Amino acid sequence: MGANLVNLNVNPCKMCMPMGAVTAFSGIQGCMSILHGSQGCATYIRRHMATHYNEPVDIASSSLSEQGTVFGGEENLLKGLKNLIHLYHPEVIGVATTCLAETIGEDIHRIIDRFHSENPEEKVKIIRVASAGYSGTQYEGFFRALRGLVEQLAENARKGDYINVITSMISPADTRWLKSCLRDVGLDFILLPDLSESLDGEYSREYRRLKTTGTSADDIARMGGARLTIEIADYISEEYSPAAYLEEAFGVPFLRISLPTGIESTDAFHAALRSAGGSIPDEFIRERGRYLDAMVDAHKFCAEARVAVFGEPDFVHAVIKLCCEIGAVPVVVATGSLCPDLITGLEDIVKEAAARLFVETVVLRDDADFDQIEAWCKETGANLLIGSSDGRRIAEKLSLPLIRCAFPIHDHIGGQRVRIMGYDGSHFLLEGIANAMIDHTHATYRREIAEKYLADEVSSKASEIALADRFIDTREIARKTETHPCYSCSSCGTHARMHLPIAPKCNIQCNYCVRKFDCPNESRPGVTTEVLKPREAFEKFKTVKAQFPNLSVVGIAGPGDALANFAETREALEMIRGYDPDITFCLSTNGLMLPFYAEELIRLGVTHVTVTMNTIDPDIGAKIYHHVDYMGTRLEGVAGAAVLLANQMTGIRMLAEKGIVVKVNCVAMKGVNDEHLYDVTKRAQELGAFITNIMPHIAVIGSAFEGLEKLNNKELEKLRSSCEVNIQQMRHCRQCRADAIGTLDEDLSIQFRTSSGNPDKSDSKVFRRIAAASKSGMIVDLHFGQAEEFYIYESDGRSTSFIEKRRVDKYCTGAQECDEHDNKMERILKAIADCEVVLALRIGDAPRKRLERMGILPVTTYDMVESAVLTAVQKI
Amino acid sequence: MTAMLRMRISSAFFNGTHLRLLTCLSLAVVLLPPYLLFGGNSARTRSTERERGHRMTERTSILTERIQSIQVCTGTGKGVSCEKESVSGSVSQRACVYCGARVVLNPITDAYHIVHGPIGCASYTWDIRGSLSSGSELYRNSFSTDLREKDIIFGGEKKLWAAIQELMVKETPTPKLIFVYATCIVGVIGDDVTAVCKKAEDTYEIRVIPVFSPGFSGTKSTGYKIACDALTRLMLPYREQPKQFGVNILGDYNLAGEMWIIRNYLRRIGVPVIATITGDARFETLIQAPSATLNIVQCAGSSTYLANRMEAEFGVPYIKVSFFGVEDTTASICRIADALGISAIRTKAEEFVREETERVIPILRKYRPRLEGKRAAIFVGGGFKAISLMRQFRELGIQTVVVGTQTGKKDEYEILAQLADPETVILDDANPAELEQFMIEKKADILVGGVKERPLAYKLGIAFCDHNHERKHALGGFDGIENFVKEINLSINNPVWRYLDKE
Repeated sequence: MGANLVNLNVNPCKMCMPMGAVTAFSGIQGCMSILHGSQGCATYIRRHMATHYNEPVDIASSSLSEQGTVFGGEENLLKGLKNLIHLYHPEVIGVATTCLAETIGEDIHRIIDRFHSENPEEKVKIIRVASAGYSGTQYEGFFRALRGLVEQLAENARKGDYINVITSMISPADTRWLKSCLRDVGLDFILLPDLSESLDGEYSREYRRLKTTGTSADDIARMGGARLTIEIADYISEEYSPAAYLEEAFGVPFLRISLPTGIESTDAFHAALRSAGGSIPDEFIRERGRYLDAMVDAHKFCAEARVAVFGEPDFVHAVIKLCCEIGAVPVVVATGSLCPDLITGLEDIVKEAAARLFVETVVLRDDADFDQIEAWCKETGANLLIGSSDGRRIAEKLSLPLIRCAFPIHDHIGGQRVRIMGYDGSHFLLEGIANAMIDHTHATYRREIAEKYLADEVSSKASEIALADRFIDTREIARKTETHPCYSCSSCGTHARMHLPIAPKCNIQCNYCVRKFDCPNESRPGVTTEVLKPREAFEKFKTVKAQFPNLSVVGIAGPGDALANFAETREALEMIRGYDPDITFCLSTNGLMLPFYAEELIRLGVTHVTVTMNTIDPDIGAKIYHHVDYMGTRLEGVAGAAVLLANQMTGIRMLAEKGIVVKVNCVAMKGVNDEHLYDVTKRAQELGAFITNIMPHIAVIGSAFEGLEKLNNKELEKLRSSCEVNIQQMRHCRQCRADAIGTLDEDLSIQFRTSSGNPDKSDSKVFRRIAAASKSGMIVDLHFGQAEEFYIYESDGRSTSFIEKRRVDKYCTGAQECDEHDNKMERILKAIADCEVVLALRIGDAPRKRLERMGILPVTTYDMVESAVLTAVQKI
Repeated sequence: MTAMLRMRISSAFFNGTHLRLLTCLSLAVVLLPPYLLFGGNSARTRSTERERGHRMTERTSILTERIQSIQVCTGTGKGVSCEKESVSGSVSQRACVYCGARVVLNPITDAYHIVHGPIGCASYTWDIRGSLSSGSELYRNSFSTDLREKDIIFGGEKKLWAAIQELMVKETPTPKLIFVYATCIVGVIGDDVTAVCKKAEDTYEIRVIPVFSPGFSGTKSTGYKIACDALTRLMLPYREQPKQFGVNILGDYNLAGEMWIIRNYLRRIGVPVIATITGDARFETLIQAPSATLNIVQCAGSSTYLANRMEAEFGVPYIKVSFFGVEDTTASICRIADALGISAIRTKAEEFVREETERVIPILRKYRPRLEGKRAAIFVGGGFKAISLMRQFRELGIQTVVVGTQTGKKDEYEILAQLADPETVILDDANPAELEQFMIEKKADILVGGVKERPLAYKLGIAFCDHNHERKHALGGFDGIENFVKEINLSINNPVWRYLDKE
């Protein structure tokens, strides 16, 4: 089922004319209704009204049978009238026709005349209404009954100081409000109809089957003498407008206003009362103020509402107006009546409300059924229904809340007391809408958010495990080991290796290392003349390979750490592998990042990895390593060493388990770790290393260990021999440069230098190191002199990368000797000494000068760290 | 001329009593908007000194003790006086130590939160926050020892012990983590909460952590610190565990699932999350926190202290991040990748933020024309949030005309001053009277603030953005950006304002 049944009305959103006529007659004092037609009409209508109003609703029927239908129902109606009078003694009888009576062409006028002439003693006033179900809905039926009443009862009365108020179908409670409102403003009035009591009766000991409340026939007769009629209805046609008749017949001017629901319509109602001579009491102003206040209180909740409203045109109009005033978006505006004016009348405000919140789809339709409304609710994503209880099916199906405030309400009690008029009545809708949203959010947000974001986690987890193991051919590795000059002594004279100096950055500071110096004649690890970009390294590889067919190994040995420059490492290796599928890849690292890259190294085809592991004891490590830059933080002393050593060991194990040949380098430092190396080599063996290479420490001027005595060859050999019980020892190491080329014995790297001088100048992609004083971490938000932390960045002016966070207070501790009386400024300056630019919220004059002397550019800003870094680098 | 004007300002604005400000104002003279100083009238008004002074007194809603905490942004001068105790009777919007501690610890989902004290502290704080859980709903309850007069006289230790015993006997599953909050009265009557907690830990072999949070012992920030100490205390016994690759998320309370959003982002770029502190936290994951490789700190105000302690105790380094707005979120994700030092993650991060930015930029572009030219007032808890909001507003073309915080720091105010326009009013620890005066005077269209400020804004006919702990939609991450602009739009452009007679 769907909205595609164009030839069928599926679950009607309207009722028939007699229903409306009977409702109108219910508001007339001492009035009974009789439907001229077959029995069912009256019974259905009674059933509907009884459950909505929770009142006994007696409606007579002429109970046309087959005979009556064929030969005319005159006798049935006459008999019906008589019996009705006998049972109820009404003052007024409303005779409403049904489809049947109209179709068979009953002449009600004549039948009633006949009744009067046959029963001259009867004073009852009989009002006829032509109300065939097919010529309108209950809305038209209601007004036709009212029109019939004024046409047939109103007289050209003497003009008096009173007004007529005619309403469309409103609840008894709203009617009571309307009456008290009219009284409060001091107006004398006749209200038509008045079902305030008749359809919401009080309990009394004695039950009266005929309702004695409502508008009296006498009052209706006087309506012609009123000075003004206020007709509260929007979509009534002139033909059936009682007000229009009164004007036409008796010259009573009229004002037509909307149901006073919401702020604008209620204001208009008050204006109408004022223009009718009423004076608005202060309490009304306060009510208005309270409603405005409530509108504001509720506006954010209301703005979440995507409302579907259905019902009679006047009701729909009133509710839609209110919704648009409070910021709710009406997405489905539907009436079962044929009423194109409703659609054109509301289109603009609905579209404005929708556009305000970027709601794209709204549906405004008359002549609609519930099947269509349901489809539109789905289409538009409605989240709230407002109308009669006939919306309950949609509410159930789509799990939507339904505010029941229109006729009929079958499944709740209190239909007779629905209040939607005036500021006070508007509260009911306003709060209903807001609370429906609040309730919905409360009931669902925990679950919905969990479903949305926890479900996502499952899928992303699955993708994480996508790093598949790569098949490793151990025989292939063995062959490569044979031809690797560093691993196999027999090949060291025959096979050449080439180190690619593509890894400038290092993530640890060893106390034996100073990487500042380059001297082409100096040969020791970590030294290079130039740093190559991956592509340059690839070009260089091709050149060297062309000259040395015995080139069997490409290694990355710095000058920093291969894994601290992993992007470059990967790029270079991928290019070379594409060119030479057989070349052996070898890489050396301090091991800090090894656990993170082990898998990927294997994937890249690296078969030989050298890890420099000088100790397995964090306390000794604290002496060897000044600091470790790990996960964005500089760790010093034992903390740094502990992380480094743990990762080295984990990494070695991971590689060894996969069959990768791991060489462990140990720098033997006299008095520092030389006696500990036995343990180190033992652990290396346990971890699965292939060989260890104990190298003597080379004291470098400017390094923390510059004064350390070097192990002589004898001591070195003794050390190696003692460790040999643990693991195979390498004895032919030449402690090569990071850009070494050739066999171990013959470094030909000088021949292959591509450029001379500072490579920085020829390269536009210069990485600058910048320190940002930041407390929040997001913004440059600290005075230079008060900085406790610096966020260190590197940037080439196009992108930035965060290096680490440095805490100023750490720059007076650790291995580096530091003046006890160092003041904060000294520590700050020390912390950023290696940077080219420093960013701070403010920088004083003195520190500014000192910074400039240190060659550091001070920049003040309050920008975001990343943007400030970029701006600063671009400025340089 | 300048000297004369300065004299007038001093007498008009401060009734001549606050000469201290004279120097501070001297620089500001040219930049100060005259209408603020002259009681909302334009500088053209040629009235006598006396009249002006009189009008100011009549109109002003500012206590003299509060004047130094209010600044009309000049971009120069001394800045706002802040980081002070609230002025008695000024109707501060700040909360207490207990509140701070409760805010941080409450989201631990499977913990019993026993509030030791008279009933009030517990009854104000049960199930009022939008922290979400993927498991236990226990944290949404408040357990109170409900101290009565007799307990105040004879001490409440017995009652506390009985409470813990009862939980251990009757509750299923048996509690494994209990927090005991010591409130004001407990602080005064001197119950030995530590001893009771210790006894409970020893007896039942569970964790019972005392949280010393008497309201009088400081501000909300003190409470954050106390909560961080409680968390450290909780983790300390689990310090010896192997490290694993992954981060802890600190200072995200999973309001409307924000932590889940961030965790998804991290997982998408290949970063596992170990513990979340404390959004959607549970005992088992919390105690794994020491094994993480990195802490990322989202709400710096509440969790930096914890991050520092974790770095000292467990060697877990930390970086600060923020996930409010496109810029912050992008920078934070890339920064996390950088900090982990894994280029593959950085590559994924860049890809991810590019995709997400491309997704949200059109949304911002769609809303911007509706929001451009509007005027915002901000009054939030911490300075960083105010800064972040001000920047987000700037992105949307919204001018911030009033900005204040409950507990902002000096530097934060300085940045606010830098970000602000010359006319922006900056307030520290503002009270409702000041907010009222300046929101009206500066014609604010919207206020961003806490629950307490909302009705005031509404009474003044000003729209409101709920950037607080009761929100039911995420404002963090890329997902939150859309919610944020949506919320601003639906309130600021709501039709209800047109019915208010504001003039």
